[in-house]
Amino acid sequence: MATPHSKRAVRIKDAGDVFAGIVLLCFAIVLVFYLVPNYINEPPILQNPMMSPRWLPGIVGWLIVLFSILLILQGLLLDRSSEEDERSIEKGTTRRFVLMVVALVIYVALFESMGAVFTGILATLVLFVAHPVRTWWVYSLAFVFPIAVTFIFVKVMNVPLPIAPIGF
Amino acid sequence: MNNAFHTTCLSICGGALALGLSVSSVSANEWPTSDIRLVVPYAPGGTTDVLSRRVADLLQQELDANVIVENRPGAGSTVGTGRLARGGRDAQHTILMASPGHTIGAAIYADLSYDPVEDFVFLQNMIDIPNVMVVPADSPYESVIEFVEAAKEQDMTFSHSGVGSSIHMSGELFKTLTETNMTAVPFAGSGAALPALLGGDVNVSFENMPTVLSHIRSGDLRALAVTSAERSEYLPDVPTLSEVGEYNLDQFITTAWFGLIAHSSFSEEAQNVMHDALDRVMEREEFLDFAEQLGAEPGQVSGDAFKQFIVEDLERWEGVAQQAGISQ
Amino acid sequence: MENFSEVIAIFFSLDNFIAIAMGVVIGVVVGSIPGLTATMAVALALPFTFSMQPVAAILLLVGIYKGGMYGGSITAILIRTPGSPASACTLLDGYPMAQQGHAKKALKAALYSSVIADFISNIALIFFAAYLAKIALNFGAPEFFWLICFSLTIIISLASGSMIKGLMAALLGILLSLVGLDEVYGSQRFTFGNYNLMDSISFIPLLIGLFAIPEIIEFYRKKALPHIKAKASGAGLAFSELKRCLTTIVRGSLIGVIIGAIPGTGATAAAFISYSDARRRSPNKANFGKGEVEGVAAAEAGNNGVAGATMIPLLSLGIPGDVITAIILGAFMVHGLTPGPIMFQENLSLIYALFMGIMFSSIVLLLVGNVAIKYFSLIADIPKSILFPIVLMFCVYGAYAVNNDTFDVWLMLAFGVVGYIFNRAAIPAAPFLIGFILGPMFEDNLRRSLLIGHNDLSIFVRGPITWTFIALTVGSIALALYRFISARRDARNAAGKSQQE
Repeated sequence: MATPHSKRAVRIKDAGDVFAGIVLLCFAIVLVFYLVPNYINEPPILQNPMMSPRWLPGIVGWLIVLFSILLILQGLLLDRSSEEDERSIEKGTTRRFVLMVVALVIYVALFESMGAVFTGILATLVLFVAHPVRTWWVYSLAFVFPIAVTFIFVKVMNVPLPIAPIGF
Repeated sequence: MNNAFHTTCLSICGGALALGLSVSSVSANEWPTSDIRLVVPYAPGGTTDVLSRRVADLLQQELDANVIVENRPGAGSTVGTGRLARGGRDAQHTILMASPGHTIGAAIYADLSYDPVEDFVFLQNMIDIPNVMVVPADSPYESVIEFVEAAKEQDMTFSHSGVGSSIHMSGELFKTLTETNMTAVPFAGSGAALPALLGGDVNVSFENMPTVLSHIRSGDLRALAVTSAERSEYLPDVPTLSEVGEYNLDQFITTAWFGLIAHSSFSEEAQNVMHDALDRVMEREEFLDFAEQLGAEPGQVSGDAFKQFIVEDLERWEGVAQQAGISQ
Repeated sequence: MENFSEVIAIFFSLDNFIAIAMGVVIGVVVGSIPGLTATMAVALALPFTFSMQPVAAILLLVGIYKGGMYGGSITAILIRTPGSPASACTLLDGYPMAQQGHAKKALKAALYSSVIADFISNIALIFFAAYLAKIALNFGAPEFFWLICFSLTIIISLASGSMIKGLMAALLGILLSLVGLDEVYGSQRFTFGNYNLMDSISFIPLLIGLFAIPEIIEFYRKKALPHIKAKASGAGLAFSELKRCLTTIVRGSLIGVIIGAIPGTGATAAAFISYSDARRRSPNKANFGKGEVEGVAAAEAGNNGVAGATMIPLLSLGIPGDVITAIILGAFMVHGLTPGPIMFQENLSLIYALFMGIMFSSIVLLLVGNVAIKYFSLIADIPKSILFPIVLMFCVYGAYAVNNDTFDVWLMLAFGVVGYIFNRAAIPAAPFLIGFILGPMFEDNLRRSLLIGHNDLSIFVRGPITWTFIALTVGSIALALYRFISARRDARNAAGKSQQE
């Protein structure tokens, strides 16, 4: 770098990239040395190393090692502050974010056991509250859509969805 | 034309309405008391899927209950079959279209969560499709004997539609019985495998009859033999492998079979109702026409005979899987 | 033509027209619902065709196929949720356009390029089927291998921003695509004993998770902004803009035709190849990925160009190139017809009636698409606070419907989090997707070639097709390197100059 600015002591230009690089490097090392040998069975006879089911995963693993090192170097040396601006956002309230996570957890935990209609209504209501939506009639949509869509999926298009315990 | 128009309208609109909106009507029988689910352990579009949808269509007319096809693909057919084996509250109204994947899957996956024989009741073998040993039209081999003799000298390649398919296992069985050098070349489905065979990139394949029948008739492929016990009425001039008589090939009798199975707790009454309904389905003109278009023979066995057939099929594939080193 | 009257008699019946129209409508609607793909719609419609006349039956399925191809782009543009895999590329520019208030323009661009591409593809099917089918037969594993290598180079042009991050994303995509059973030996890779992973990671949950969910997460992390009630759906597509995109559309269509004629590559790859090609040539290169009409046009031309062309190997060779044509093949067989060379001898008038129907379906698509745009573009005016919870619900239902399994719902949400992290770290998702699609094809064709050639490497240079793609691959990489170096030099010169001053 020719600019006098960069001749100062090495300063981390992009902490995010460095962090991402380190995480990926760790992952790739675990991949190459642990996951590939332990979680891919190799057939006893191989006519060619390229035939091995471990070949491509290994290559990809080593390439990730290489690129994560490059990513770390890039984060240390290259100034990308202009791009950083685009990534920053104005954060909302914690409540808003937490309720969104709750809605996702509802889908993950209850979808199979409580059925599509119930979880659909519940999660949609939670998300409406999270925003919060202040138009009262909108809340009725949280009931209309899950029921209508489930009906169309299951009864008209014959695409099964879990409907217990509120079966119809 | 008016008639045709009617059929179209009826089949699109009426079909959607009848299938979809009507609440299942309860018949005089105790069983079925709700909709019946027909599980297809493969993705939409394959032979199993097409057959299941045809059977479901006919079965719901005979049973007076909705028959809903449900695809549960994954890991051969073992994901869908595994779910059926778990039973649960729907088990009395769930049936599954099993195919060679049922026995081959059990032969190659060591840590299967279910017993392929004891966890199920076997209702009816619907159709059997023979495999055909085919070579490209410009291949120098005119008969099975010629092929085997050449394969003893040089390494041959055979294409198949995926590890554990009946096409793959037939190839491995052939290799084992004739003690020849053959390398399996995998493709993602028969559609992808065909060009390699037509273009001469592989030497031979043991494809399902419906996939290659038109190419045999057009002369793009040459059929050397069929794998069923008797000659196929679609290819009367092509010998069976067991006819060849040499290289242990008399032991080579396999077909791709398709049949309905249910969970072992499936009630006696339900079994009886199903047997009656399936007997009627298999006599229907529509069913026989469909089987003919697939190049298939209607299934012969049901109940205990079907179960016995499964046991033997399983034994064979276990042997082949072990010899070929593809059990895991 | 002696049996022209027969063709007319077969084609001009009311039920053919009804079948096409219904097919296109069903296709557009189902294709636009996330998780419900054209493939699924075709499979579900199959039983209804059993009792129909053969031509009507096939045309219904073809109509659904074409409608679904276009329908997928609607939700991709409006809510960043690709309705079908092939429309993943459309959202790269379509969604930014909708965000900037040009939803209607993007939808129109998608429609017109779809229809034009569809038309070109049909022409290719009717006039060059025999020729293209011959090429398809010469396309063995080694030729495929080099085609995939060439396609992989498009990652370079898709990696907007940092090249390192783009390549990293592609590598992660390849890695994930390898989960499941290995195609040659059937050995399990990274399945960790989980049966759900044996059949590899489902594409639809991955797609929805990667693109739609991060947008929703982002919305709830951001501060709530009042919804500005503007006519967000915006103006339509000006003729001058369409004219500007026309060469791109034609080129994209031709790419689609070639990819479609070769069984087993698929519309998604065609869309991305067309997109990166357009981007490489466009004067508005910098605007790609930020809401460029030409990007939408290129992507849609690429994936719709495939639709007619996949019928080429099906009709002339009896080889289905993808799952949908496999189902259509099933429909042919149910009616006692076997596609292939024999059908051209025995049922020629039926084939010509089919061709007429397929041509007609392009016109229907144009009409239906215009109506669909009129109503669907209203979605762009709905406040996100109301829209997103419902989109999330659709995504969950759709992901479940792919395999009827809750595991896919979990997968989708997990990919949502991954996609969100990608967004935060400015890692582009498109190369990830390309890696995921092409990774297995690369490996399978490499190993297939080695098997076919008995480990003799000379099979990789066995004919003119391989050499062509080797040249294209090398040229593509060289061009990228040249551009990279000259951009560097320009930057350095500029920096040097500013220092001197």
